[in-house]
Amino acid sequence: MTEKVEKVLEVKDLVVEFKTDRGTIKAVNGVNFDVFKGRTVGIVGESGSGKSVSALAIMGLIPNPPGRVASGQILFNGKSLVNMPAGEMRKIRGNKIAMIFQEPMTSLNPVFTIGNQIEEVIELHQPQLSKKEREAKAVDMLRLVGIPSPEKRVKEYPHQLSGGMRQRVMIAIALSCEPDILIADEPTTALDVTIQAQILELMKKLQKELGMGIILITHDLGVVAETCDTVAVMYCGQIVESADVKTLFNHPRHPYTKGLMNSIPSFDSTAGHKKERLQTIEGMVPSLFDLPAGCNFQDRCVNVTEHCRGSLGEPILRDMADEGATHLAACFNPLKKFEGKGL
Amino acid sequence: MNMYSYILRRLLYVIPVLLGVCFIIFIIFNVVAPDPAYVLLGRHATIEQINQLHKELGTDLPFWNQYLNTVKTAFTFDFGSSWSSKQQISEMIKAGAGPSLTLTVPLFIITFIVSISIALLVSFYRGGFIDKFVLLLSIAMMSISSLAYILFGQWFFAYKLGWFEIAGYEPGFPNFIPYTVLPVLLYLAFSWGPDTRFYRSMILDEVYQDYVRTARAKGVGELSIMFKHVLKNAMVPILTYGIIQIPMLFLGLLLAESFFGIPGLGNITIKALNTSDFPVIKAMTILSALAFIVFGVITDVLYTIVDPRMKLK
Repeated sequence: MTEKVEKVLEVKDLVVEFKTDRGTIKAVNGVNFDVFKGRTVGIVGESGSGKSVSALAIMGLIPNPPGRVASGQILFNGKSLVNMPAGEMRKIRGNKIAMIFQEPMTSLNPVFTIGNQIEEVIELHQPQLSKKEREAKAVDMLRLVGIPSPEKRVKEYPHQLSGGMRQRVMIAIALSCEPDILIADEPTTALDVTIQAQILELMKKLQKELGMGIILITHDLGVVAETCDTVAVMYCGQIVESADVKTLFNHPRHPYTKGLMNSIPSFDSTAGHKKERLQTIEGMVPSLFDLPAGCNFQDRCVNVTEHCRGSLGEPILRDMADEGATHLAACFNPLKKFEGKGL
Repeated sequence: MNMYSYILRRLLYVIPVLLGVCFIIFIIFNVVAPDPAYVLLGRHATIEQINQLHKELGTDLPFWNQYLNTVKTAFTFDFGSSWSSKQQISEMIKAGAGPSLTLTVPLFIITFIVSISIALLVSFYRGGFIDKFVLLLSIAMMSISSLAYILFGQWFFAYKLGWFEIAGYEPGFPNFIPYTVLPVLLYLAFSWGPDTRFYRSMILDEVYQDYVRTARAKGVGELSIMFKHVLKNAMVPILTYGIIQIPMLFLGLLLAESFFGIPGLGNITIKALNTSDFPVIKAMTILSALAFIVFGVITDVLYTIVDPRMKLK
């Protein structure tokens, strides 16, 4: 990270609240991260950790009510996206910031051709193009995302494509206005492993060509290791550790990050005669309605000590790097160096 | 090409269905129903008169022969003549079709458009004040009997205010309008409630689908999401429900036509029921069965237009 890179998105102390019958919960609670041009930020965490809600907040798609951005800022090229008028936000959505989703099977509208669905986004954000140009661009986009015989495919409907192909179409829709940021919310979770690799490879390739910043949301650390430049690990709506990808994998400091890494099955463990049991993180994610005092991870942590229980308040992100690059972790009792599994 | 062969095959299904319809009609009118001679000649008829009439009506023939005659009328549309007016039934139907269509076509189109628009509106503001208000209003209005609407409408709008004709009919394009506006509006008042409730739930099934979220993420406006993305997806159940109402309208307007004195098919049917005019009732039953079949085929073909996942087989 020596060369100067342009910052396109800055998320500052973001808090997203949801009103429910049982009270108000903070699905995202004070999250900070930056997105740089041509770089990929990974956001990792278990279900319900606030990854997707953060992404929806950036898109301005938090269903309101019951949800709302309670405080904090989202700056896109220096411009605040929080409380931006709906019309102005629509001009950014799909144009400057695009998003792809976890469910390629259902994310496309079943009753319109895929060409039609690509053209729709082009028509919205580039109204100067004629119908012919739009059609040509739709074909180009399909070719770009590696769909064979795109001239024929534009006239087809989503149900005529496989899951992997549909996700490619979603990517084509997302990228047709050459956005500055692509938010990918678990883009490969619903796909076969071989297709997963293809899609990730495609995203990397297109990032190189188009230079957009990517926010990759996933619960799969393997995906993060392959594609991300920096990683933020989320737990209960907060970032508990963030660093560049090498540092995080080589020297995780937060016990939760290490727990996540240990839950990845590795080939070494199955190669020997004695099969190791796959490690899991004991216990369950605490309910957002009933968070403990102190560290949210205390009941599942192997390194838990007295001050984790609230005597020192909540752990805040501290820089734990010894050499140069920032490495933040929110832990009173962080792991020593060289405890990671490594890349 | 595929579609034409499908339509042809579906229309061929008409044959067994019509045979079945004829069988039921035959059982009801030729086997179970009282001897038409008593209906027509009264209680003081002589044996000779009765035998004579049986011969004229063909009711002295064996049952299989009578059934064949019923089938023949269904396929040739030669329904014979009315018992009470002695008119050719096919002529009566031709005369009645015009007034019926001037009533049912605008009525169907207006009700369809109004109900869908209201349904889109309340789906858009789901859970809000408008939604709740429309729910209350629709339930209140659908709880009132259609008879009450007709009587009140005739008394208030036609008699008191004099805006429309109370009853009657004049053929020809602008002439019929003063006579049909009131029944159309009253029908709308009666039926928009249940229609809107149904369309609303079909639309709300779609509003939370993933593709709606995708459309938002593309920057599509809420109005366009509703009218383009959601409506087209909700169209299959809406068409099913909407189009099958057309043949039912034809039967359902029995009351309205006779109250408003519109000489349509409904009115003819009511009169036939009152006078035990069996041939007319038979003809109407066969016609409505045909209408159901034809509109069923139309619905199936429209499905494939709105939903590419549907294939005609």
